[in-house]
Amino acid sequence: MTDGIRLRGLTKRFGAIEAVSDLSFSVPAGRITGFLGPNGAGKTTTLRMLLGLVAPTSGEALIGGRRYQDLEQPRRVVGAAVEAMAAHPGRRAGDHLALLAEPAGASSARIEEVLEQVGLTDARQRRVGSFSLGMRQRLGLASALLGDPAYLVLDEPANGLDPAGMAWLRRLLRDLAAEGRTVLVSSHVLSEVAQTVDDVVIINAGRLRYAGPLAELDSDGRSLEDAFLQLTTS
Amino acid sequence: MPQLIRLELHKLRTVRAPWVLLGLSQLLIVAGVSGLVLSSDTLRTDDAVPAALAHAGLASLFTLVLGITAVAGEYRNRTITDTFLSVPRRSRAVGAKLAAYAVAAAVFAVVNAVTALVATKVWWLAKDVPLDLGGADVWRTIAGCAAWNVAFAVIGVGVGALVRNLTAAVAAALVWIALVEGIVGQLVGDLARWLPFAAGSALGDLPGRAGDLGPVSQLAAAAALAAYAAAFALVAIGTTVRRDVT
Repeated sequence: MTDGIRLRGLTKRFGAIEAVSDLSFSVPAGRITGFLGPNGAGKTTTLRMLLGLVAPTSGEALIGGRRYQDLEQPRRVVGAAVEAMAAHPGRRAGDHLALLAEPAGASSARIEEVLEQVGLTDARQRRVGSFSLGMRQRLGLASALLGDPAYLVLDEPANGLDPAGMAWLRRLLRDLAAEGRTVLVSSHVLSEVAQTVDDVVIINAGRLRYAGPLAELDSDGRSLEDAFLQLTTS
Repeated sequence: MPQLIRLELHKLRTVRAPWVLLGLSQLLIVAGVSGLVLSSDTLRTDDAVPAALAHAGLASLFTLVLGITAVAGEYRNRTITDTFLSVPRRSRAVGAKLAAYAVAAAVFAVVNAVTALVATKVWWLAKDVPLDLGGADVWRTIAGCAAWNVAFAVIGVGVGALVRNLTAAVAAALVWIALVEGIVGQLVGDLARWLPFAAGSALGDLPGRAGDLGPVSQLAAAAALAAYAAAFALVAIGTTVRRDVT
């Protein structure tokens, strides 16, 4: 269905600090790719460069061969949820989605559909300020899904979800990947995504440590957790 | 582009801050007109009516704050991320904000003018003074106040884009008006009447301010304020386009 996501030599310096160093990897379509690393590894900066929010110092990040900012109607191509708290606390959930639906080319029927999909139908008239973190995550996912995008870029979507929410998220991502979409999900906890992802990209201190199938991460007999820790602490 | 402007206006309608600011503007105008009436010996002077109506222009304080929320408010609530995800060409996103907030301020201006007219009418009736609202002075004051309302909203968008911290931006703007412009005014002598608040006051024909400093025609004040608005609009676009949203 899509060409996937490709990063080539992506680098970002903030003053003297190199947050992301020469990062190259691909995210194939039809699979779920986990983007892992400890806090401060550069995951969020990388995703923000992918979405045109942060300008790379060098290198490029392409979505289906194009930069995010060069896409005609980006919200119809890429569904992004990069900030769970990013909603005006005084705005009602339904209004929040309506504002994002317009640039996503989504109808009001589509708003109902995604509200249903994330289980927030009854909360649509509530102001976002009264939402729990888990509900905000669901609202973020709803906004990402509005444009029925071929690409999903989710920053720590499991953060704040309860176990039932985690199971729900897992099924949702599975279904989306099975439809041929490209799904990139970040997390700082491997165990959180181990049951969900097909491939993993692991970074530490802004550098690539591993990119490949999850199944091959523990191929030398170590546990997944041990392999992850070794890659991210050395 | 019209679609983006509509979207910004839709954003404004779905939060409470603009309505609160609109309400506070009316309180300020009614209080200002009432204060003027209660502290005047007579309302039978030529400039009493324009002086009362000019309080509609003073409500520019609130359109300034409204403008500041356009960008700084989005940074505060982190919604700026969604805004730029929807419209990655940021100059268009900010351009739409500038236009939308000018439109919103024009709506404020109409409501402000009506409130000022009604408050003036009621007080003049209460004091049993004949009121002539047909004079050129009256409509010149109202038009000037409306222009001041709109210009300050555009300037606010620029201030909020420059100082993205909402609290700091609002504080800086109000401190400028309450304190700093006066100090700077003493330093620059005759040029003081061209500073933003003084120019706004002259535009709105607010007596006792710019009037003391010598004659600044309403048109000259309008030109000065338009120049400020244009400069701040450029600042808003220039600072927003290249900055990382982390």
